[in-house]
Amino acid sequence: MSGAQDKDDGTPCSEVLEKLYTYIDGELEKGNVDQVRKHLDECSPCLAEYGLEEAVKKLVAKHCGCDPVPSDLKDKVLDRLARARTEQHAREARAEPPGTPA
Amino acid sequence: MSTAGSCLERDADLQGSAVGAYRWDDTDATARTSARRPTGLEQGQEQETAEERDERFERDVLPFLDQLYSAALRMTRNPADAEDLVQETFAKAFGSFHQFKPGTNLKAWLYRILTNTFINSYRKKQREPKRAGTEEVEDWQLAQAASHSGTGLKSAEAVALEHLPDSDVKQALQELPEDFRIAVYLADVEGFAYKEVAEIMGTPIGTVMSRLHRGRRQLRTLLEEYAIERGFLPATRAAAAEAVTSGAAANGWGQATGADQGDR
Repeated sequence: MSGAQDKDDGTPCSEVLEKLYTYIDGELEKGNVDQVRKHLDECSPCLAEYGLEEAVKKLVAKHCGCDPVPSDLKDKVLDRLARARTEQHAREARAEPPGTPA
Repeated sequence: MSTAGSCLERDADLQGSAVGAYRWDDTDATARTSARRPTGLEQGQEQETAEERDERFERDVLPFLDQLYSAALRMTRNPADAEDLVQETFAKAFGSFHQFKPGTNLKAWLYRILTNTFINSYRKKQREPKRAGTEEVEDWQLAQAASHSGTGLKSAEAVALEHLPDSDVKQALQELPEDFRIAVYLADVEGFAYKEVAEIMGTPIGTVMSRLHRGRRQLRTLLEEYAIERGFLPATRAAAAEAVTSGAAANGWGQATGADQGDR
């Protein structure tokens, strides 16, 4: 398990590991980013952990967002929109004669 | 590879102003017609005819079709429901398009409609096949996260996971409890900032962070399991992973470094 808790930079590994996701997501405040980066430069176990978490994030991004879309889906959506449009225009024409004050 | 490439290109095209200060004008309750508000942006809309607005909708919103379909597929986990969800989302977006403020984040606005529609209409009819205690296993995993083991093992593991086929990664995401799955999808696939995910899911940022944390822990555990099943990782890790998922290691994780007790 993790033997070394403190590296030269004085930050405990546990503190860095806790911030790893926010660091990877680019959501960590500037001061903390520097702290984490400095620690990762000096602590190879934490760096390896960072590498693994980042790999998982990239894996999801790469594989989970590009599914082949059924060829008729666009037409179905357009049909649906055409119906919605007809209904909406009819509604607007009834409810809001032009020039009616709000 | 080519699919991943096209995915990224698509994202770059559509992302535009993904991060930044924006306000959604989605106060459904008041249902005000923004066309009458005399602000700079909307003054332009006042001249816009219904036909022009429809054209603008088709031009700006329709290109999100493919992207929304993938998101819908991850949410519903089946193609028929995903198609319905996408159609429903477009119909709703069309119906409230007059409330959308041009120049604000269209993508986030659409994902909010998608997510709400899913939660309100599809979740009910879907029975979530809950794995026993899936939502509760995380404490040990979180504790695990606060320490690290051998370096060499970790980099070998990253390489092993990268060799997993497309279907395994999708399957792993699919296995996550719904809220974790959606949070991970929005953050990692769509690249939304925490604040945006929070607004899309209607939860505080702290909740988003917790869902991401837990979701990713589980995801990693699942991917490790798949990698072991495929022989990409040595089985000693399999024993450890199994002992842990079955809860057997709850009281003995510290001593279980040999990890051969889970052999079956």
